[in-house]
Amino acid sequence: MKGKAAGFILAFCVTLFAFADVPVRKEEFIYSILAFNGRDYSGTFAREEADTIYLIAGVDNFLTAKKTFVYFWPITGEWRTDTQGLDQEMSGTLEVYSDKEQPVKLTPEKYTYYNVRGVYELNWNVAKGKEADKVRSHYEDLVDEYWKAISEYYNKRAEYESRLDKITGEITERRKRGEDVTSLLEELKTMKPPARPQPPEEYTVPPVPVKSGFIINLPVGEYRIRFLTPDGFIMQGSEKKIVVFEKRREGGIGYEIIPGDKWTRPSESKTPHSVLYVDGTTDLYLRPFYQDEFNDLYYEKMRRNDSRGNPNLMKWVRMQQVPEARIEMSPMDGNITTVTEEPFYVEQVQGASLGYRIVPFDAEGKHEGREPSIRAFHIPIERERGVLKISLFDREGKQILSGKRQIRVIPGAGFKTGLFLLAFVPLLVMGVVLFFRRKRYSD
Amino acid sequence: MNLRIHAARVIARRKTLETVLNPGFYIAQTAGLLLGYILITGFTGAIDSSGFSFELNPVYDFVGRAMVGAFGRTFVDKLFSEGPFLLALYISFLPSFFYLSINSVFRFSFEKKVGAIELISYGPADGTSCFLASYVKDILLTLLTIAILFIYFAVAAFNNNIVLGSRFLYSVPLILFTSSALYAYGILAAVATDNAVSAISLYMGIVIFFLIILMGTFSIVSGYVSTLSGVFTRIAGWLSPLFYWNLSLTGVESGKAGFFITGIVILSVLTGIVLFASHLIVGVKGVRK
Amino acid sequence: MIKTRGLVKKYGSFTAVDGVDLNIPTGEIYGLLGPNGAGKTSTIMMLLGIVKPTRGDIFLFGEPYNPKRLDLRKRIGVVPENHPHGMWSWMTAYEYLEMFAELFEVKDKERRIEKLLSQVRLSEVINKKIGEFSRGMLQKLSFVRALLHDPDILFLDEPISGLDPLGIKQIRDLILEENREGRTIFISSHLLSEMEKICHRVAIISRGRLMAEDRMESLLNNLSRERKILIDLESIPSELPDEVKRLSYVLDCRGDGNTLVITVPREGDYRKGLSEFLIKKNLIPLSIKEQMVSLEEAFVTITKENVEMLAAMGESR
Repeated sequence: MKGKAAGFILAFCVTLFAFADVPVRKEEFIYSILAFNGRDYSGTFAREEADTIYLIAGVDNFLTAKKTFVYFWPITGEWRTDTQGLDQEMSGTLEVYSDKEQPVKLTPEKYTYYNVRGVYELNWNVAKGKEADKVRSHYEDLVDEYWKAISEYYNKRAEYESRLDKITGEITERRKRGEDVTSLLEELKTMKPPARPQPPEEYTVPPVPVKSGFIINLPVGEYRIRFLTPDGFIMQGSEKKIVVFEKRREGGIGYEIIPGDKWTRPSESKTPHSVLYVDGTTDLYLRPFYQDEFNDLYYEKMRRNDSRGNPNLMKWVRMQQVPEARIEMSPMDGNITTVTEEPFYVEQVQGASLGYRIVPFDAEGKHEGREPSIRAFHIPIERERGVLKISLFDREGKQILSGKRQIRVIPGAGFKTGLFLLAFVPLLVMGVVLFFRRKRYSD
Repeated sequence: MNLRIHAARVIARRKTLETVLNPGFYIAQTAGLLLGYILITGFTGAIDSSGFSFELNPVYDFVGRAMVGAFGRTFVDKLFSEGPFLLALYISFLPSFFYLSINSVFRFSFEKKVGAIELISYGPADGTSCFLASYVKDILLTLLTIAILFIYFAVAAFNNNIVLGSRFLYSVPLILFTSSALYAYGILAAVATDNAVSAISLYMGIVIFFLIILMGTFSIVSGYVSTLSGVFTRIAGWLSPLFYWNLSLTGVESGKAGFFITGIVILSVLTGIVLFASHLIVGVKGVRK
Repeated sequence: MIKTRGLVKKYGSFTAVDGVDLNIPTGEIYGLLGPNGAGKTSTIMMLLGIVKPTRGDIFLFGEPYNPKRLDLRKRIGVVPENHPHGMWSWMTAYEYLEMFAELFEVKDKERRIEKLLSQVRLSEVINKKIGEFSRGMLQKLSFVRALLHDPDILFLDEPISGLDPLGIKQIRDLILEENREGRTIFISSHLLSEMEKICHRVAIISRGRLMAEDRMESLLNNLSRERKILIDLESIPSELPDEVKRLSYVLDCRGDGNTLVITVPREGDYRKGLSEFLIKKNLIPLSIKEQMVSLEEAFVTITKENVEMLAAMGESR
């Protein structure tokens, strides 16, 4: 009897699992989108049901028409593609048109994009057609040269180590025999290990492998697109609206704020002239960055087509670090001090607390041979109530007004009881008013 | 002086005194300040070494999550970018605003029903004088409420080393002009209907409609609700004082003083138009009970 | 002072006032009589500018009346039938009157308020909340309010209804005193006996039409078709009233204690005939008096079509 019951429960559970929500894969026509988001390129896709694609104006964006499996992933609440199951690029043309203009037919074009090193981080370039192959090929040549240099380096290193072993061995032998080793020691002193070759420094983001797609670079406005198969038919689900937008403001300053006790949990202060409230338990390490302001909905949907956003709000988006800047700090006592960006190292605190602390990076001392953990502006914070105003100056020494912030240390306890009682003052006034009013009648 | 204005002034003084002698006014003020207290102390309790994080305080965690869900993170970040006072100002103002406006709508309908407006209209006054008096009373007591809130928040700000914030300061006049337009809608509801229940229902319907449009504007909910809200906004958004409130605040945020001033001017014009519409309705319907 | 020409008020298909012509000179106490729904209130409301006439003209103070001219209303005082229920109950009598004094821009308001309150014997309650006032006190307070600004015309709508006899007398005296000062007073009332004591001229309105309008005595003389002769006897035999009724000129007869009340036509002198008839019956008249028909009776006569309505009104009172 017990066995039958157990069997029944097992069968019930199996049935439940069988009917549980399983993402349903559906073959769909999609636009695979590689959109420039102001900082770098991010990928998303527009499935058949999506009616609008969002792109930033005046930059190259890449669209590819594909057939793939699409499914909804409830855990993250987003739509995904299963390109391992099906990833078929469609051949055909893309028609872009607006109410005012005649349709423009686009054919797929080869492209690559890359970011070259400079004072600023955003040095993006797009190479199209043959130029794309050339750029990529140049990069591949650099990589080949690098690997060749690495190979040579390892050979020389092996030679160097072999010679080193040989000399040290001979010194040992000669000393045992009581012979002079001066010449060998001289040779040992002059011996230098081979220098390790550096990877190509020309790029911060090297040219991506050359791909083929529709390159879309449009001015601000609303457009429509549709994909035509080689035989001239409009692909079902390919007609979409394109909203091309631009930033409302640029060059704003945001700060990445790293508290001394939580360097893994930095926060950001993006609203210009906003106030940063801290409890004063630790110093702060700031990293200023340039930011541009975009429509919240447009930007979010440009980054991920099925995401949500607020159409009536503008948001600041982090773009790149402010290079070679300095920060002026004005505390309440009026003594202005200037800080510059410095390297810091995060050290594990010894003992049972398992904490860590941020200390100045000592390149030639105890941190020799290591890389700094962070580069930031160290802002010492008073442990008591206070106000610290900070201003940011760029590499030319010009103040960036949107970089002004206040850091306020708020006392932990405050005047809570007093504030609570103060809220009842209107009732007290009521009592007084009604008392005098009543007294007037009785008189 | 224009007799109608003179009458409005005389009646407004009595209406103001009547409200000031009513415990409800003080209870609304206290409720507003207590809400402000909760928001301010909640904010200070949600600050640690890395700044403000609403997850650290149960009240803020609840409010913050709900707001992030409805309006998005950007909205919430901006709301608290200068401190708690912007939200506290609006939330704390609500009890007094609803008390004053609903009380005025109710009283006007009641006075019409019992013949008080008719009695006043036997003299050098008319229905317009009466509703203008009600409007002036609401404005005076709104100024008083804002002054009380300002003082309370200034004390709280000083005490906790928090700034009131530029958007808070801009919101102080803005809240007056916005509520002024909403009071005008209350008057319109009162003169257009024949009893207090209908008047209050109509007024609340108007306010809720405007709120839905506004929340729909900020909502990140997509699909049907968003589309519906968009349609409502296109059709009737221009009638809503909250639409111009938003325009002004957007101007403040983007540093465009012109937007702020334009919003305030339009709010004043809207108030005038709604009051004029009320005047016309009173003229047609009369003040007979 | 008050003049109307062809005043008409229609509510949809219902005609509340149908071509009313009034002409009230300065200093007159004018009474407008009529049963409920006769058009009294509509007429007053039109005169006050609260209700717009459908047709017709109103002249106040010798010029066409424009209700939008609020300055003209400063010359009018109004006492409505009822004080708005629950209104201004938080105010003291002084605060209440002060509000209206300010509204009418009364000079030396404090003295004026005190003087008027003392006239209606309300000085004692000057600082009492009007929410605690009786109906009579409220009515007197209303009267004071209406007189605050020394109006040229006083409109009184049922000014003494609900008052106790003393209150009625105080208000009556006040009305007469105000009239002596030259104020024109327009009274609408259903208390006919009081109107008789106060009004110089009355108009009777029924179904929106002005049925009669004249000085009090003329109205009674012209409109009543009969009068009463009251004869006091030592005793009245039971069969006497019926025997008197058989006389050709007697319309009605009844005994009231030791008084024989005989109704005869308005024209002719029947006292001698009646006296001889009683002597023949060995009854000696101790006194013979003639009594004019009351306003109430005249009213019934004039608005015969409304007899039932008046009867109902009488019952309800």
